[in-house]
Amino acid sequence: MKRKKRTPGYFGRFGGAYVPETLMPALAEVERAFAAFQKDPLLQREFRELLKTYNGRPTPLYFARGLSAHLGGCRIYLKREDLNHTGAHKITNALGQAILAKYMGKTRLIAETGAGQHGVAVATAAALLGMKCDIYMGTIDMARQRPNVFRMDLLGTRVIPVDGGGKTLKDAVNEALRDWTATVRYTHYIFGSALGAHPFPTIVRTFQSVIGRETKKQLFAAEGRLPDFIVACVGGGSNAIGIFDAFLRDKTVKLVGVEAGGLGLNSGKHATRLSPTPNSRPGILHGSYSYVLQDRNGQIANTHSISAGLDYSGVGPQHSFLYKTGRVRYTYATDREAVEAFSLLCECEGIIPALESAHAVAYAVKEAPKRPRNDIMVINLSGRGDKDIFTVADYLGKKI
Amino acid sequence: MNRYEKVFHQLREKNEGAFIPFAVAGDPDIAVSEMILKAYIDGGADILEIGYPFSDPIADGPVNQFAAQRAIDAHITPVSFFRLMKKIRRYSDLPVGLLLYANIALHLGCRNFCFAAADAGIDSLLVADMPPEEHGELSRAMSEAGLSRVFIVSELTPPGRMRMICDRVDAFVYVVSRLGTTGTDTTLSGGVRATLSKLKTITDKPLAVGFGISTPPHVGEVIAAGADAAIVGSALVKIIEEHHEAAEALPGLLAKKVRRYKAATRLQPRNGRNHYA
Repeated sequence: MKRKKRTPGYFGRFGGAYVPETLMPALAEVERAFAAFQKDPLLQREFRELLKTYNGRPTPLYFARGLSAHLGGCRIYLKREDLNHTGAHKITNALGQAILAKYMGKTRLIAETGAGQHGVAVATAAALLGMKCDIYMGTIDMARQRPNVFRMDLLGTRVIPVDGGGKTLKDAVNEALRDWTATVRYTHYIFGSALGAHPFPTIVRTFQSVIGRETKKQLFAAEGRLPDFIVACVGGGSNAIGIFDAFLRDKTVKLVGVEAGGLGLNSGKHATRLSPTPNSRPGILHGSYSYVLQDRNGQIANTHSISAGLDYSGVGPQHSFLYKTGRVRYTYATDREAVEAFSLLCECEGIIPALESAHAVAYAVKEAPKRPRNDIMVINLSGRGDKDIFTVADYLGKKI
Repeated sequence: MNRYEKVFHQLREKNEGAFIPFAVAGDPDIAVSEMILKAYIDGGADILEIGYPFSDPIADGPVNQFAAQRAIDAHITPVSFFRLMKKIRRYSDLPVGLLLYANIALHLGCRNFCFAAADAGIDSLLVADMPPEEHGELSRAMSEAGLSRVFIVSELTPPGRMRMICDRVDAFVYVVSRLGTTGTDTTLSGGVRATLSKLKTITDKPLAVGFGISTPPHVGEVIAAGADAAIVGSALVKIIEEHHEAAEALPGLLAKKVRRYKAATRLQPRNGRNHYA
């Protein structure tokens, strides 16, 4: 897939719109509507107002004094996306796209969810805007994220269990896409991450880029300068691209994406796409050309991670591009490192992070002690961890 | 004249539509799959449509998903797939279309895939998740290898886009008879008639209707509505699903079924192509 000129929907050679023909008119409609949405002052005001009064934006940038002191290296700040309404950055995109869907005249929202945070966010937006909502979720994820399944139920959303394939996020996306092909006349599919066919990676990034803009402003107010490091976990990659976007041109800022290392890269049980591993290659999954974990026959591989939100075979196309160009450094944290970082943050900061976000914290645990006190590291704390207490208890062999 | 042109030409002379049965290659395993495809041919199929199994077939309903999974579980590989296709080609000269997902072609490399497919006697490719806009590299490789193109049109496709798609097709236009994924329906959607009439004002390329066609009367209906071919997939794959553990009975059962579907393409004599329109 070599491409020289810049085509909309492409990040270098990654991206595109690889979907069944039936969805092509819908993608064109979403693209047109999104362009109009961005220029419409009334819709923009409605969105900004909701972000402020309903979501609780801007979220704080907090100097993590306990963690910084404990690790004894550089100064660490946490971008508190866990303090968003519903407990993660996902709500920002869900609200934006729900307003967009309503503007397009759609009456029903569908979405896939892994950890359940995106599902809860879409269910919330649907309740707020009076729309019908169905969420697809793998049965393994339903079992490990029980609290979120019940939250969606409370919000009036139907959670549709997905029992195919690996019964996780990838399979939920398959089912949501199938639903959308049949119901596209009245349904909008809210992709939860910066994934899928054009224009979704761009739409999701645009909505989430508020994270990076706020961080930049807040850090200038606190420290009067840019950070040295920004660290974010990468599943599909929306919280990462959200905080990276405002800093992509600031070459002195090192950007680090942390993927799920699962039981380690040699075990084959992981979700690490952007480190050299034998089964990660560029390919096509769910609408875009990007790095994909696959077997030697070109079948998509199943993945493993303790965190449902990172447990996915593909990755947003812009991340593949940033990996190839080297602008972002991608690394991984294993299940064990993530759980240790989870416990550490609970103990030194009184913050229970999402297991996804704990992967980013795990990087800080390794890297921060090696850095001088003058350096500043910002971790995107993408979500809170109440949903993960059962998983962590299981992992630690504790009964709750 | 290529194999498609020859078949459509002969059928037009006889005032018949083409019957196209579908199966997933390697379902339930390579050996039985070979018997199944030969049974389709023996039953009177005019063209074969063969699916390359993929782990995440987003355009397929549950019946074809399970079929793909059975084939993957039986360890189908590109090598065993192409070997199977060669056997089918030696058995018969009818046109063979391949339906696949983009990652399969990309995995081998577009050129490698296309040349291997042409060498195995495959006549056309339809990539379920690759619209014409993204088709550049694959299309070039297909032309070099001598493979024909099939693209999908649905009732939601705007007229301008229909024209663009018809221009790029050289085997047949695949008209989906309803929105959504492959599967069996009890009734035929009304939208397909309107889509066929629209298409007839745009192109004289062969029109094949598929998705949700499950009974011989459906086949008769779409041929009467002006389609040049009817594709039946899930209804046949369902039979494979039900009998795959006792496969001896399958060839006989499937050949009989195909004979019935094929008969339905002859039911209503047509007065030229514009009978319905």
